[in-house]
Amino acid sequence: MNAQVSQSGRTVGQLSRRDFLITSAVVGGGLALSVVAPRSFAAPGASGGDAVELGAWLTIAPDDTILLRVPCPETGNGAMTFAALLITEELRGDWNKTRVECISLNRDARERLVYGAIDGSKVFSFGGRSTEPKLVALLQEIGATAREQLRVAAARRWRVPLEQVEARNSTLIHAPSQRTLRYGEVAADAAQVKLARAPKIERPHALSLLAERHVSKVVDAAIVNGTAQYGIDATAPGMIYGAVMQSPVHGGRLKRHDFEAIRSMPGVIGIAVIEPTTPKDRLKTPLAGDESLLQSAVVVVAEHYWQARKALEALPLEWDDGDGAKWRSTEQVRAAVRNELEREGEKIAKESGDALKALAGASKVVEATYETPYADQAPLEPLNAMALYTPERLEVWHSGSISAQSFIVAAEEAGLPFEKVHLHQCVVGGNFGRRNFGDDLRIVVATAKQFPGRPIKVIWSREEMMRQGRYRWLTAGKLRAALGDDGLPSALHARVCQTGYGIAGLDNVAYVNGLIPNVRIETREMPIHILWGSYRAPGYNSYAFFMESFIDECAEAAGMDPLEYRLKLLAKHSDPGWIKCLEEVAARAGWGKPLPRGQGQGIAISNWGNWVSQEPQAGTTVAVIAHVEVSRRGELRVLTLDLAFDCGRVLNRDAVLAQMQGGALFGMNMALNEELNIENGRIVEGNFDRYPMIKLADVPQINVHFGALTGHDRLSEVGEPPVGPVGPAIANAIYRATGKRIRSMPFRKHDLSWS
Amino acid sequence: MKIEFRVNGTPQAVGVDPSTPLLWVLRDHLGMTGTKFGCGMAQCGACTVHVNGSATRSCVIPIEAVANAEITTIEGLSPDSQHPLQRAWLELNVPQCGYCQAGMLMAAAALLQQIPQPSDADIDTYVTNICRCGTYPRVRAAIHRAASELAQTTQTTAGGSAR
Repeated sequence: MNAQVSQSGRTVGQLSRRDFLITSAVVGGGLALSVVAPRSFAAPGASGGDAVELGAWLTIAPDDTILLRVPCPETGNGAMTFAALLITEELRGDWNKTRVECISLNRDARERLVYGAIDGSKVFSFGGRSTEPKLVALLQEIGATAREQLRVAAARRWRVPLEQVEARNSTLIHAPSQRTLRYGEVAADAAQVKLARAPKIERPHALSLLAERHVSKVVDAAIVNGTAQYGIDATAPGMIYGAVMQSPVHGGRLKRHDFEAIRSMPGVIGIAVIEPTTPKDRLKTPLAGDESLLQSAVVVVAEHYWQARKALEALPLEWDDGDGAKWRSTEQVRAAVRNELEREGEKIAKESGDALKALAGASKVVEATYETPYADQAPLEPLNAMALYTPERLEVWHSGSISAQSFIVAAEEAGLPFEKVHLHQCVVGGNFGRRNFGDDLRIVVATAKQFPGRPIKVIWSREEMMRQGRYRWLTAGKLRAALGDDGLPSALHARVCQTGYGIAGLDNVAYVNGLIPNVRIETREMPIHILWGSYRAPGYNSYAFFMESFIDECAEAAGMDPLEYRLKLLAKHSDPGWIKCLEEVAARAGWGKPLPRGQGQGIAISNWGNWVSQEPQAGTTVAVIAHVEVSRRGELRVLTLDLAFDCGRVLNRDAVLAQMQGGALFGMNMALNEELNIENGRIVEGNFDRYPMIKLADVPQINVHFGALTGHDRLSEVGEPPVGPVGPAIANAIYRATGKRIRSMPFRKHDLSWS
Repeated sequence: MKIEFRVNGTPQAVGVDPSTPLLWVLRDHLGMTGTKFGCGMAQCGACTVHVNGSATRSCVIPIEAVANAEITTIEGLSPDSQHPLQRAWLELNVPQCGYCQAGMLMAAAALLQQIPQPSDADIDTYVTNICRCGTYPRVRAAIHRAASELAQTTQTTAGGSAR
């Protein structure tokens, strides 16, 4: 055997090729397989036999193939690729011979948190974000460490001073003697090198590879030919399928079922009844809430998925709906929430000056109430997972967005120690917050425990997924402002009530942090039985609409131009990015240009991320100008969306552009189309026929402008920020086009006709 | 009784409930998972394949309806992932999560067969798939790019044969 052996004494070359390997020995639980590597994505030139490990994060093979292990799964935002690029930049590796896979959580458990992912000590990649400052520094250090090990090894071999050894494109160069060594030739020596001090990060602010060549996301080649493995695509010998139904009213319980009625249907194997129990020993997960806990459910198991679906549909079921059924209609919930706005909030989220007094004595007061409904993230890959359970070993396949969350939830539900749990991190078919929790995986593990030794894949129907969501909750807010002599708000009093627990609220808005002198923001939470979770930019996706619509109404009342009004109000803001975004987007979009009747421009600006950090210029600011056309009959068409943003710095311009485009369209669909209704405690909408999505024909021209970047040191995230301001920009544009003020989502439900 | 049809040129015969949707026969019985399940009611188009050359949503078409038909899936769009659409998709970094993209590519490929130089309106009409990530602007751009590449190839071929 000629394999190189790494410091830990394990042969790693073969393991990296062990994509989705599963054997009968594994089924029996008898094989102590050290690592079951997740699927890796390879550049065309990569093969990588007999690789040597340089630390747990990367291996280098004699043929120079580099295998990078990154902590971010690919959810669509390019996080996996970005992580690999950050390592490669410092490693000075050859991208053509690089392959990328996800870290093994099982190894993290077995090797005393070598990745620091299970406990979050090194890696907490929230929903696949890759620009977390701590994570960026870690990835750069991984690359720099290996680079220095390689340089030291080459210097020793050549017996030359280290300073004379240059690393470039997987090659070590000694210029004075014109000698070179490939990384693959010195990797084994490099693995033995212990660095005396922390390596220097040579290029913390660059991704030179992107300037040199076109880089596709590492998963894209597999996506375009259909070979990318999402969770739903996992297969294993002897695999059986499950179709799931949870209590239609959240919190209800299964009262009766009659398996005998379906037992003889084609392919039917059995049924798993899932009790809504909480594990005895709760483990600490990255996301600390109860969103993943079991709901009362049945899973019908069959040889094939379609058989399981048909049998589930035929299964006689009776549910005890429980307390939630008292909510007979959406209108009843809305009325209850609006009613709460009439009394003082349970919490004062922000108070400065005396807003109530200022309002009582004001001569000009603006008041408006806004609402956003329940909404579903609706990623296109339906929820699913596969699990193979034995009392000695659990193996799961999952397209969760946070590997550690999936891993820990699986271990917790199985009641097995981490060392006996193996997670295959699959490609994630859309997240938007829905795949953060692992609620699907928990049900599948609970099912697999009832079918030990058989790999079982459970796939949610679209209807089951949409009605069993972890939703954006319903929110209402009543805002009142006193306008001073200059037309600007001298006081703002807001009351908001939501049917869930938010994270980012109105109190994060710039205007209420030092710009409006008297502020009082009262909040109240009125949770009902409907489950909630994280929906792209939680809280912000509602509050940006409230505040930016309201500011527009204030400008109108003051008789001022909405752009001028915001510029005046923000003149003393400590973050120069806001003004820059407004000026950039206004110049680029031609703010104020003459338009025909029935057309209008609207503007909005907001910041997502300042709730994470209180540092100056925290988060990402996005300003949007929407240009809309409304026919006399009230048909709305969004013609153009112009965006200018400030996230500080940009390293991967095209990836940022993609997120701005996608985020703008997500925000547009949220505002125009999305609403879930409640009937007798149940969610009504189940599929895209009643929960519509914009399609190609609806897509406006989207212009993303990079001219407002202030260049501050952070790479603030870009996926969520555009979701906030697009809706209010469109609503404000509709007002200018029609004179109709839209104060609730979805806009499609409003009569926009004019004459 | 087995139902016979061809997938990407290969004869297949499956003995399943004839009402089983083509999608699940492809995925579960033939192990071809490139075709995706998204909605189950022909709304999203993630399951789009070609049936005798026409873009078809395989989640609602029963297997008995495609007896003796020629099916093309994403796995058979090209032998080497070099279909002009696949190349354009990579050059323009079209995919985000990528889950809808197989269906999007199959819808686009059927469009280019029918209308080699589609207008924006043609694209709007023929490609009605849902992409939750919002890759639409790039989908449109990539279809135009592939169409113009195909046109150049055709011209070159025509010029070559004229000589």
